[in-house]
Amino acid sequence: MVGTVTEAAIERVVIVGGGTAGWLSAATLAARLPHLSIALVEAPDIPTVGVGEGTWPTMRETLRAIGIAEGEFLAECGASFKQGSRFDGWTTGAAGDSYFHPFTPPPLSSSSGGVPRALLAAWREDRAGASFAETMSAQAAACARDLAPRQRAMPEYSGALNYAYHLDAGAFARLLARHATGRLGVRHVAGEVVAVEAAENGDVAAVRLRGGEKLTGELFLDCSGHAALLIGGHCAVRWVDRSDASPNDRALAVQVPVLPGSAIASQTVATAHEAGWLWDIGLPSRRGIGCVYSSGFLGDERADAILRDYVRARVPGAGVEALAPRLLRFGAGHRDSFWRGNVIAIGQAAGFIEPLEASAIVMVELSLRALVENFPASRAVMDVHARRFDALFRYRWDRIVDFLKLHYALSRRDEPYWRAQRDPAGFSPTLADQLALWRDQPPSAWDLPQVDEVFSAASQAYVYYGMGLPVPERLSATPDATARLAEVRARERALAASLPTNRAYLDAATAQAA
Amino acid sequence: MSNHQILNPADHADLRVHTGAGSELGDGIMATLAVPSEFRRLACEYPILFRHDPASGGFTALALLGFEDGENLFLDGNEWRASLKPLSIAIRPFLVGRSREAGGPGQVHIDIDHPRVSTSGEGTLVFDEAGRPTPFLEEIAAMLGALDEGHRASGAFFAALDRYDLIEPFALDVAMPDGGQHRLVGYHHIHEEKLAALEPGALAELHAGGHLAPAHAALTSLGNLAKLARRKAERARG
Repeated sequence: MVGTVTEAAIERVVIVGGGTAGWLSAATLAARLPHLSIALVEAPDIPTVGVGEGTWPTMRETLRAIGIAEGEFLAECGASFKQGSRFDGWTTGAAGDSYFHPFTPPPLSSSSGGVPRALLAAWREDRAGASFAETMSAQAAACARDLAPRQRAMPEYSGALNYAYHLDAGAFARLLARHATGRLGVRHVAGEVVAVEAAENGDVAAVRLRGGEKLTGELFLDCSGHAALLIGGHCAVRWVDRSDASPNDRALAVQVPVLPGSAIASQTVATAHEAGWLWDIGLPSRRGIGCVYSSGFLGDERADAILRDYVRARVPGAGVEALAPRLLRFGAGHRDSFWRGNVIAIGQAAGFIEPLEASAIVMVELSLRALVENFPASRAVMDVHARRFDALFRYRWDRIVDFLKLHYALSRRDEPYWRAQRDPAGFSPTLADQLALWRDQPPSAWDLPQVDEVFSAASQAYVYYGMGLPVPERLSATPDATARLAEVRARERALAASLPTNRAYLDAATAQAA
Repeated sequence: MSNHQILNPADHADLRVHTGAGSELGDGIMATLAVPSEFRRLACEYPILFRHDPASGGFTALALLGFEDGENLFLDGNEWRASLKPLSIAIRPFLVGRSREAGGPGQVHIDIDHPRVSTSGEGTLVFDEAGRPTPFLEEIAAMLGALDEGHRASGAFFAALDRYDLIEPFALDVAMPDGGQHRLVGYHHIHEEKLAALEPGALAELHAGGHLAPAHAALTSLGNLAKLARRKAERARG
């Protein structure tokens, strides 16, 4: 029975849609599975959605695997280093209300990220006046000084502290496209998909472009973003609305040029406002700033005023009057299934949620990792892979929704929006259970049992204790835990002396690349 | 030209120093000062040779890094391929200074025109925001202290060797990658047979002065000459 549909090898992959999701998919598949023949079809003038400008530390390994040098990436994408997120005004909104979520986990944390209880006790006993993040990681102090996580002399993609990137998403997609087509043999087809040809079993057999060209393949990746041409259109997979837990549905976004030589922040800054929050992402040449809000609680005009007030207060020398913010409308949710037949949805076609923890690009990476390591040899096993992929990513979406909700659930702000955000009716049973247990025991692998959790127990702890929740009673420090916290202090001193500022690093790197 | 300044937090609050390796940082040199107290550490990597200084009439020790002017075979681009560096290399661009009164405490000086002094904002800070020494400067200060102490003790070391007539002119032919011989001349070293033949009282005196161990370490280090020649051969092969 050689040559039947079900036993034919999967060799031709068609990616529908460019952007970060499409080109990252093309480059990753081409680099990791070089036997594949990959075509990416992209409508010539679809603007990319400019919100996903923060990555996770996983991006370093992704770029290395694709074969892009770090120096090239930084220069081409106008990128900077991201070492975590700072949350201003989330707990009470009072002056000085701020906590930090660094990428470097506390000492002694297990790979699943559980924070040892003795360490929590040592924090309480030895450093009662210091925040959780600055006690547990030298990264907080480095970020307070706007330091880079590495020196240029270090091997690429390695740092003294764990780090990710802030980047210009448009430039990133262009770099990936050049790399994928020029060095990895991906075929770029400029054209608009106007029809889908179905196979007898309901799979996608081919996509037809305006002008008549037809792209056939054995596997189709839907990276068409909000349009969801294949997963939503052809496969008619249901959209699961998550706005009950995540009510933010609009953002006003601007790019603000910065002065040469100005400091570049080491973290994304998320500042709470009366009905949402603002993002602030520093690149060498500009800051991307956006006001996220829930239209049920805030009008567009008021959001615009909040955005301008923020820029006026936080960006020295910015011309606030000239800004023309772009309004983005979105809904939190995801597909009921991400892999249907021979179609896999990646990126916004699979789901979207507010960019509070920069989950968009990492979900693309995680999808690709799952696909590359479980690539179907033939159609016969595709449904098995699809079931497993669906189960894994439904779990991951649930955990993302829970983790984002945690940021609101612990707030003590008083505005109607914030009170609605922490209404337990919007909590999943899992989150409600965790909140009940964490009064008595710290976040641990018992809460997050998967091997590759999107948000580790350490991340949960950085938010939970960052927002001022008490540590469980009856914990006691050990000499080892106390010693480890002293090591963090020593490391803080050494790093403060040896790391350059982001500005010094990136200006020197740019000068070298030129 | 060098330009020495007394290191202090007022003048050098933002001073950063490049700590890496590279010829552009002044590492392209064929030899560097070594002191007897570090011979034992150095003997696992570097050949240690002595040089007679006609002006002072005394001897100094050198760790050999290459065979020709400007050749440092431990330097590979921006990597220093050895498990440790001689103190006189590791402390740069700092040096020990003295106040005018003889015997005053050592001060940390810096050669502000040294290529290791950074002007780009990269490199390691010497003082923190409060003007306290950084861990880097603390480490440098400890090494400067060790180098200064070792340097002052080296006179006694060479005097002791001289007393027993153990120092002799040293020449060696080293086989070079092109098949030729490179003749090392102008150096001195320890006469191994004379050292071995010393009577017990003399050995005991050398040992009591702390000179016997560095003397043996210096002899042991000569085995590194062949290793250094091999580095040169490997470099020639590319």
